[in-house]
Amino acid sequence: MANEHTDTHASTHEGAHDDHHDHKPTGFLDRWLFTTNHKDIGTLYLMFSLMMFLTGGLMAMIIRAELFMPGLQLVEPDFFNQMSTMHALIMIFGAVMPAWVGFANWMIPMMIGAPDMALPRMNNWSFWILPFAVTMLLSTLFMDSGGPASGWTLYPPLSLQTGDSFAFVVFAVHMMGISSIMGAINVIATVMNMRAPGMTLLRMPMFVWTWLITAFLLIAVMPVLAGAVTMLLTDHFFGTSFFNAAGGGDPVMYQHIFWFFGHPEVYIMILPAFGIVSEIIPTFARKPLFGYAAMVYATASIAFLSFIVWAHHMFTVGMPLTGELFFMYATMLIAVPTGVKVFNWVSTMWRGAMTFETPMLFAIAFVILFTIGGLSGLMLALASVDLQYHDTYFVVAHFHYVLVPGAVFALMAGTYYWLPKWTGHMYSERWGKIHFWLSAISVNVLFFPQHYLGLAGMPRRIPDYSVQFADFNMISSIGGFVFGASQLIFVGVILHCVFKSRQAASDQVWEGARGLEWILSSPPPYHSFNEPPPINSSTVAHADEYAH
Amino acid sequence: MIEQRDIAKQRSRAVVTAWILAAVAAGIFAAYVLAAVLAQ
Repeated sequence: MANEHTDTHASTHEGAHDDHHDHKPTGFLDRWLFTTNHKDIGTLYLMFSLMMFLTGGLMAMIIRAELFMPGLQLVEPDFFNQMSTMHALIMIFGAVMPAWVGFANWMIPMMIGAPDMALPRMNNWSFWILPFAVTMLLSTLFMDSGGPASGWTLYPPLSLQTGDSFAFVVFAVHMMGISSIMGAINVIATVMNMRAPGMTLLRMPMFVWTWLITAFLLIAVMPVLAGAVTMLLTDHFFGTSFFNAAGGGDPVMYQHIFWFFGHPEVYIMILPAFGIVSEIIPTFARKPLFGYAAMVYATASIAFLSFIVWAHHMFTVGMPLTGELFFMYATMLIAVPTGVKVFNWVSTMWRGAMTFETPMLFAIAFVILFTIGGLSGLMLALASVDLQYHDTYFVVAHFHYVLVPGAVFALMAGTYYWLPKWTGHMYSERWGKIHFWLSAISVNVLFFPQHYLGLAGMPRRIPDYSVQFADFNMISSIGGFVFGASQLIFVGVILHCVFKSRQAASDQVWEGARGLEWILSSPPPYHSFNEPPPINSSTVAHADEYAH
Repeated sequence: MIEQRDIAKQRSRAVVTAWILAAVAAGIFAAYVLAAVLAQ
């Protein structure tokens, strides 16, 4: 239950004073366009990602409407391919990644007792690149040659058949990559240099740890994607043959380079989710996180392994058997640290005094449904059976389980968890729960039948299919429409909380919450922790475990 | 008693960290493209 007491900490209530003298910019442009404040930039990132979530979601609705029954009903096949490509690019680079950077901006300085991000001007720049990049990407849909239609992987030679609009796609990917790298540099520079005295690395909240590791992944792999798409650009427009077999190049080399980026990219989207769930479950189980250090090392292990498994996406290209075996076993190894995490979340809940507010419901659904996605990932890791699963709807079901009830549910859990802190108001618990139950049921109606479709042989990225797949596709589409409509409730709950809610949030908000962000006022002052906060067992969750 | 901190010192260290990381990112990009060019 939400903590109704206004439990304040004297030394942190510079906030009450600063509310009146916080030097907050008054003009709209000064406040939002030129802002260097981590909270404002966090809000910009989160609003932007919500808009992209709805844009990408609209594309998903078009895809599911076309697949509602066999035959071609609504859109041309090429436009269908553009939709499936754009849906992925927008959801990955426009919705999920910026949402995590938004959470990082809002929460990391408050969680480690820093006054702001280390590089505030660069922070502004990293955000404001994004709307231009996404506008450029979306504009290709209105060009004569149309948007990219080769899938988000942009495999040549298919992607090289895109017309002149391909240059816009490549430039948009470059800009989004630069934005991500700058965001990652800022996170590392902040966490490594700006922690409050006493906030040692092994006292940091799990969300900060997972983001620190994610930031290293971003810096390691985003330049690889930039290199790959630059080579596509020169192959397309400047006559090179990096990936053109006729000119002595190798299209499979692109796949190797792309997936050396692409697999860590999956972990970039899921590691901060692990962090958020590791914050929420202890709060609502009213117990410390079970195995904090093991969680940190498991996260680092997953990050390391993500660099040596990329070719499991390419089992069908004809690799040597030793290569297939290496990538198969390396991939299966990831189940070990991931299992450590799942068991630790369950152990945290074990015999806890649990309550089931909306953030906890989303977190529990995450643990269960992400694990389903993880298990189907283990099936796909088997090189021998992947020959059947490859490029079928089984793969679509697998990664959507990881990314929707995985990453997106964690984003929603985090939003409900910290929204009262950000706004100073409680959201509607009743509508939050309605949103949760509609989402949790419909997401399974949407994606579970796709396992069966894939096992029966339905290929992915097609607008039409054999009549034998009709029933499961119709069920999946109905689930998709309900899931899509349910997200409007999410938007409504947020708008209500920000503009209409009359129920003030206490500083601690949740009875079992521990961490520096909860000793600030709700909403926190515009500039927080100008004076370093005290780091002890009453202010942070892991103060005693590794005290030196 | 809370230990005080030197924000200016923290920020200048953060700038050094940022330049190192930016150089690493640029190096990875250059290495991949260069390797692909040499492999032609």
